Amino acid sequence: MTSDPEQDNSMMAVDDDGLDEISPLTLGQYYQRLFPQELYYRWLNYNGKVPTTEFTHREFSFTINDGVYIRYQSFKDSEDFQRELLRLSPSKIDIGAIFTAQPKHAKSLQPGVFKPVSKELVFDIDMTDYDEVRTCCQGGDICTRCWKFMVVAMHVLDRALREDFGFEKIMWVYSGRRGVHCWVCDDRARRLDDTGRKAVVGYLALIRGGAEQGKKVNLTQRGGQHPHILRSMEIVEEYFEDILLIDQEIMLTKERWTKILAALPDEELRKFLDAQWSRRPDRSSVEKWSEMIDAVDRKAAKRGSKFGLSTFERDMMLQLVYPRLDENVTTHLNHLLKSPFCIHPKTGRVCTPIAADQFDSYDPMEVPTLSQLLREINALSVQEESSGNNGSGTTAMAKYIKVFEDFVASLGQASESQNSSSQKQNSLDF
Amino acid sequence: MFSQHASVSKREGLPHEGAAAEVVRRSRYPTRLSMYTDAPDLEVSIEEFETFALDRLQVLRAIEDAQLRGRGEDDVRRRVSEALDKHLPMQSNRARAAARQVISQRRKDHVSHFILRLAFSRTEELRGWFLRQESALLRHRFREADTAERAELLAAAKLQARHLMPEARDAQLGSAASAFYGAQEAVYEVDFERVPDLVARAQVIVRDGHAFVAAGDVAALLVNEFREMLARSLAVCARALPQLGEDERLLPVLQSLTNQSARAEYQSTGAAGSMTADSVDSLAAMFPPCMQHLHGQLQRDHHLRHGSRMQLGLFLKGAGLRLPEALIYWRRAFTNMTDDQFQKGYAYNVRHNYGAEGRRADYTPYSCHRIITSNPPGPGDHHGCPFRHFAADRLRTALHSARLPENDVREISELARAGHCQVACTRHLEARLAQRRQQQPDKPMPDAGHVPSITSPNQYLDLLLTDGRGTRQKSERSADTSAILAGPKPQHPQLQSQSQSQSQPYSYA
Repeated sequence: MTSDPEQDNSMMAVDDDGLDEISPLTLGQYYQRLFPQELYYRWLNYNGKVPTTEFTHREFSFTINDGVYIRYQSFKDSEDFQRELLRLSPSKIDIGAIFTAQPKHAKSLQPGVFKPVSKELVFDIDMTDYDEVRTCCQGGDICTRCWKFMVVAMHVLDRALREDFGFEKIMWVYSGRRGVHCWVCDDRARRLDDTGRKAVVGYLALIRGGAEQGKKVNLTQRGGQHPHILRSMEIVEEYFEDILLIDQEIMLTKERWTKILAALPDEELRKFLDAQWSRRPDRSSVEKWSEMIDAVDRKAAKRGSKFGLSTFERDMMLQLVYPRLDENVTTHLNHLLKSPFCIHPKTGRVCTPIAADQFDSYDPMEVPTLSQLLREINALSVQEESSGNNGSGTTAMAKYIKVFEDFVASLGQASESQNSSSQKQNSLDF
Repeated sequence: MFSQHASVSKREGLPHEGAAAEVVRRSRYPTRLSMYTDAPDLEVSIEEFETFALDRLQVLRAIEDAQLRGRGEDDVRRRVSEALDKHLPMQSNRARAAARQVISQRRKDHVSHFILRLAFSRTEELRGWFLRQESALLRHRFREADTAERAELLAAAKLQARHLMPEARDAQLGSAASAFYGAQEAVYEVDFERVPDLVARAQVIVRDGHAFVAAGDVAALLVNEFREMLARSLAVCARALPQLGEDERLLPVLQSLTNQSARAEYQSTGAAGSMTADSVDSLAAMFPPCMQHLHGQLQRDHHLRHGSRMQLGLFLKGAGLRLPEALIYWRRAFTNMTDDQFQKGYAYNVRHNYGAEGRRADYTPYSCHRIITSNPPGPGDHHGCPFRHFAADRLRTALHSARLPENDVREISELARAGHCQVACTRHLEARLAQRRQQQPDKPMPDAGHVPSITSPNQYLDLLLTDGRGTRQKSERSADTSAILAGPKPQHPQLQSQSQSQSQPYSYA
């Protein structure tokens, strides 16, 4: 395999490779030998010594291989969970909310009794929402160039969640294909109701408007002074030229610059710039962008700041780089989100956590696929594997598991005090 | 007594306050504004019970109406104030009114609130409506109140908040706070969860989980506190309601109150007759702008994202497209997809909308209110309300392509710009009816301006199909529908015939 010359620089080769071998059999091997079962349980049980309702009342849903989606699964402890995992070998695990009762009993309960109580505050950023601002890939594909949008998104949101909302226990996860998820695990975040979640996501979401709205960032004079905007602008400015103008060449062709000009609230300028660039279409995006901003500034100076021209550059930079959130995922307490350490069914890649200090160095192309991991682990001698009961420590999974382990450990200290003392008395230490 | 009163007056510096005011102050209702924390413990006659409740209902309905139709903030305020003066007048302590009158006004306000609280606790939807209108009422009254009354209400609400003067504020938040709040504005520091609306609109600086509410926005804090309290007690009422069943005098009154409550959910009228997968495309010319847009996008892209599918799917359901036909329609529309992909990814969703999966709830079509206010379209989304979510020039293009006359286009664009989406949509319908009137001068039709306000896309379709009357005579029905179906030519004749031949292999019995 390593002798294949195609393999190094083509992601597709790896994809097909991974895809071929996703089956209940290989998934079963993954869950048995590689999935970080113990850590995973510790995370969702919030380091309780015995299973708490955090775990037992949590909804899981499994997609099993032929596309059947089973909702409202729940488990009494780690062993129970693992048993089902091995029995069903799901191709996807989704994590839902913690309910007033065990979700597996949902159907036998009266409506109104069974309600979601809490869940991590989650965010979902999907590359497909960037299709109108990226030129390298479309749809489900990503490459190192458009991945940078995700890097900016993580920086912007992570800082806002920490500095503004005071959250600390934040885990970022690569979805395995085309996006990132964020799990905010602070107690206060988990207790937010739908209204509270809506407030946070409304605060963070800036890009507004569907396909029929050209200009998607509209800040008031006062809104532009908000510390979150000022801070986000600093991050955006750092990446803007590199991502949009150089990597994406966002204004290279007429088709592309027309989309940018559509957001310019001045018809005269639109026509002027279009004519100018049509005469010299070969100019780079860097040049075109500065011509546009110069023209806008000249006009804004003449007319005063009235027509939204004076803030056009800022608004446009935000529109092109600021994170695009799928708000529905965040807003609803009972919305499910794909679990970390799933195998993405389309790429075969493992859904792996991203450390908060590694946003810039994390490379999604480097994430191992299921088949790659199975080859690695099969190469291990039987003795090596039997020395530890989980083989993941010696594979390409190791560094991601380390990130997860550190994260779960960081939950420990604080949530210790929240486990009720009565539970502790009953506990059998193991 | 008198001397005591004099000393109070002097202390509070209110020279106009008379003996009546003192009586009011010592009564059960010392202040005009109330958070309604304590239920009235008194006897109310059944006649009073009904008139009080109906009067308050008039006010709440006027509030909803004002927000839908009011032109600008001032107009909304004026409309609400008028309704209040008419149905629920209340004088302040400073007005020189007879104590008996003031107290009876306040008693009516208080009692009527609690009656409606009970009546509207019945269902989730009614609770939501009542919460919205009562919150808006409190916000209105707070804004109209004088400084003393505001202070009294703030004190009664017992807001737990740290008050920061500008210097202290800047010391905590840095110079950015001055630029954001202005140099002079004091702020209240509260947990961000307590002012979700302000946080969602980034109207507050949030730092370490605390929101800093400008003194001028304190109404939002107050109203939110009120809303939380009211939501909790509505839930308590809902549980207590079944016990009232024994009192046969009350229940019918409570029932009838909510039956008259504002806008009920859209009830399917079947104006479009029985729709089939084949007839959707030809009927699309009669759709309201939002649905025409979604339908057009679906034909163009052979795909719609989730929000769009929900909006269009439930609309078609409301218009009379039954489940088997809906499955055929959506399967055909998604031409770029294998049968397997459709079954796995989309069929469930269609069946779910019809209550055939999951929770088995029978979902109703989205109202305009819902389309305008919730789940705004993101990048790549086509759902939403064109009058709300289209860029101005994009909207104008759409209006022109519907061949509306220039002055209508101008008026509708202007309404949309001012945020009166539903009024704009109503005008849009009127303009189309006028068009039709010109084409068919012999047909009797209601005059322009007599069309009811549009509150649901389905209502738009019904009205257009019935020439603005909303209901149709039985005899007209068949002839009319066929005329409509024959009227506009299908946009893609070849697609039409193709889809018919395609319909054979799929069967969803």
